[in-house]
Amino acid sequence: MLFNKNSRIFKEPYIITALIILSIMLFLAIFAPFITEYKPNATNPRNRLQPPSSEHFLGTDEFGRDVFTRILYGIRASLQVGFSVVILTLIFGVFIGVLSGFYPKLDRIIMRILDGMMAFPGIIIAISLAAIWGGGKINIILALSFAYFPKMARIVRSSVISIKDLEYVESARAVGAGDSYIIFKYILRNAASPILVQATFNFALAILDEAALSFLGVGIMPPAPSLGGMITDARSFMTVAPWLIIAPGLMIIFSVLAFNLLGDGLRDFLDPHLRGKIN
Amino acid sequence: MKEVLILKKSIFIITILLLIMMTFSTAAQNETEGVYGGRLNAALKMSAPHLDSDNSTDSQITAMMNHVYEGLFEFDENLQLQPHLAESYSVSDDGREYIVELRQDVMMHNGEKMDADDVLASFERWVNINGAGNLIKPYFDQAEKLDDYRIRFKFEEPYAPFLNIMASPVSNQKFVVRAKEIIDVFGDNVINRHVGTGPYQVKEWIPDQNLSLVRFEDYSPNQMEASFFAGKRTPYLDEIVLNFITDAQVRVSGVQTAQFHFAEEVSRDQYQLFEADANINTQIIYPDQMAVFVTNNGIAPFDNKYARKAMVYALDLEEMGFSMVGNPDFWRLEPSLHEEGNPWYAENVGEGIYNVYDPDKARELLEKADYDGTPLVILSGQDSQVERQGAIAIKDQLERIGIEVELQLFDRPTVVERRSELEGWNIHLSSFIKTVPDPQIHQGWTGTNKWITNWNSEESREMDAIFERMVREVDYDQRYQIVEEFYEKMWETVPYFNMLDYSRLHITRAELKNFEPAWQTFFWNTWLEE
Repeated sequence: MLFNKNSRIFKEPYIITALIILSIMLFLAIFAPFITEYKPNATNPRNRLQPPSSEHFLGTDEFGRDVFTRILYGIRASLQVGFSVVILTLIFGVFIGVLSGFYPKLDRIIMRILDGMMAFPGIIIAISLAAIWGGGKINIILALSFAYFPKMARIVRSSVISIKDLEYVESARAVGAGDSYIIFKYILRNAASPILVQATFNFALAILDEAALSFLGVGIMPPAPSLGGMITDARSFMTVAPWLIIAPGLMIIFSVLAFNLLGDGLRDFLDPHLRGKIN
Repeated sequence: MKEVLILKKSIFIITILLLIMMTFSTAAQNETEGVYGGRLNAALKMSAPHLDSDNSTDSQITAMMNHVYEGLFEFDENLQLQPHLAESYSVSDDGREYIVELRQDVMMHNGEKMDADDVLASFERWVNINGAGNLIKPYFDQAEKLDDYRIRFKFEEPYAPFLNIMASPVSNQKFVVRAKEIIDVFGDNVINRHVGTGPYQVKEWIPDQNLSLVRFEDYSPNQMEASFFAGKRTPYLDEIVLNFITDAQVRVSGVQTAQFHFAEEVSRDQYQLFEADANINTQIIYPDQMAVFVTNNGIAPFDNKYARKAMVYALDLEEMGFSMVGNPDFWRLEPSLHEEGNPWYAENVGEGIYNVYDPDKARELLEKADYDGTPLVILSGQDSQVERQGAIAIKDQLERIGIEVELQLFDRPTVVERRSELEGWNIHLSSFIKTVPDPQIHQGWTGTNKWITNWNSEESREMDAIFERMVREVDYDQRYQIVEEFYEKMWETVPYFNMLDYSRLHITRAELKNFEPAWQTFFWNTWLEE
């Protein structure tokens, strides 16, 4: 099994590093209210732009808000967006990809539409949708999911096409198995590896793009904390209060790095050819 | 022998004195005489949709086109009205008739001399389509040409602020003289070929990118002493390029790297850094901006004066100053709509309510106003630091006393569109120019239910009556009493209020000389030195 405690997955250095970083982030996000005594949006302007101190671990921003607290809640927002986008992308991507890969007649129509969507960079689609629907967490999740699902669908389709003509699928069909049984029992199980890898990359991409959208002013609406929004706000103060931009910037780097490492690690681990080379 | 010695001593002393005088006079001459030539690059904070001030309420258009167009009258640095394209003027005793004599030597960019036909065509257009011109319309009778250089403006009723409004530095209000030939071509439509009398003419206009102006070689300056917008304008610079750079930090970097000679409105928190840089001069614009708290008085809860008053008590204005502007050297608490020293400044207005932070009183007043707890919507711009940060700070302060608030931050055009609607918003923040020379120039004063507050009740009609008397009263003392009456009514009903005054900070390169920090930026009389 993939996650058996004796599995070699826990010996992959990329995966171990990623899991450590992600565990810390998850811990900070979940237990934020217990880790810090400050509220993320509580202002104290008389105490603005204070450098890091024992009272304010990462200093204060232009409203006198505790930067460390806002980062904790910002991570929470990033993880929420990333997780939601991955789930929605999986649901729609897998559904469309299976339909397309399994039923050739549908394939021609669906793939042409998805090709059209993929002609535009995902971030451009997300910015356009966010600008039309307005900012806010839910709109951002929907916009990013819409932007990412075509790629997921294409990956699923490729896997389905390569699996559906294999002997064991033919055998199942010969003994009278229905389409849905074949899809769930044989095809999706064997297509899980590329889907899983793509999902982790989508997680990283969603965090990065959420930061980009917030940076551009169409993401999570202020005063709610978000890592990208914090960087936007910090631009005007970066020369007098550099901690405002360094801390959220580092957090974005670490979170994206962690998910990319996880994706790379899983790909290496799940791909027998690559694993062979590594070993 | 003694006489010879005395003579020698006298000659020596006189020579020394002459030398000293020559040295000082040369220094003085160097200070006032500039260097011709060079191209100035300026970074302005925002672009404009077009360059026709009569067809927009955007003050940026007037600020840029002050180089191209001039007024019959302009304000000097003491906010005193001075004839500019006008040579002189006279007002009849009953205040209904103004005779304006024009300067006869003024060349326009088309090579023609400016005369009464150009002024009349421009004035007719201004009255028809400019917001300030529209205000005059109900009182105005006619403008007639007495000869090529004399015009009579006749009013049906006395209209006290006429000259001040014509020279107004607020928004798009100023009346400027355009060539009749372009008005004949464009009529009331947006003008995109510009022929004025100013020291510079339009070379190229690339929307959202830049506006290039070149020196008008045949410019005919007013010969009065230069003082802000009035007096002699000397176009030392060959070319002025006004670049539109929306990101403040990019404007700052541009000046630091000598890409730009001027950056408009930069962060006041970086003041110490700029001061320490020998290549940069800081230009503080005397508190000329007001951060105005505007309520939508057309719908609940702010259709009730107690709810509006509650907002004044609910806000810690000092805290607002730190949030909106930051550095306390750049803001001050001031309830009057005119600055101290202005003839219309009123002391002690808003006493007992302004800057009296009392959350309990606020809750009590909201209860009296039957406020049902529906979340209040703050509509504010996200392009302006003051408005954006002010909105966030207000949300936090109101939530602290238990009021639920929804924050809506948009770009400027969206905010302007949404605030023009009766529904959908409750609170709006807006920045207004403080330095206005007449109580009626200010948009907030020019009407009640006509303005964005949607105020339309018995109280607003009483306020309209006060405005009406203010318009007709030409005697300063009598008019000042009406202004005091206005303030009393204003703080009794609070249709809107000034939270604080704040200064703007521009920066210039050290090589840009003789820059004057005026309320609208101009580059005549400035020059570049290597």
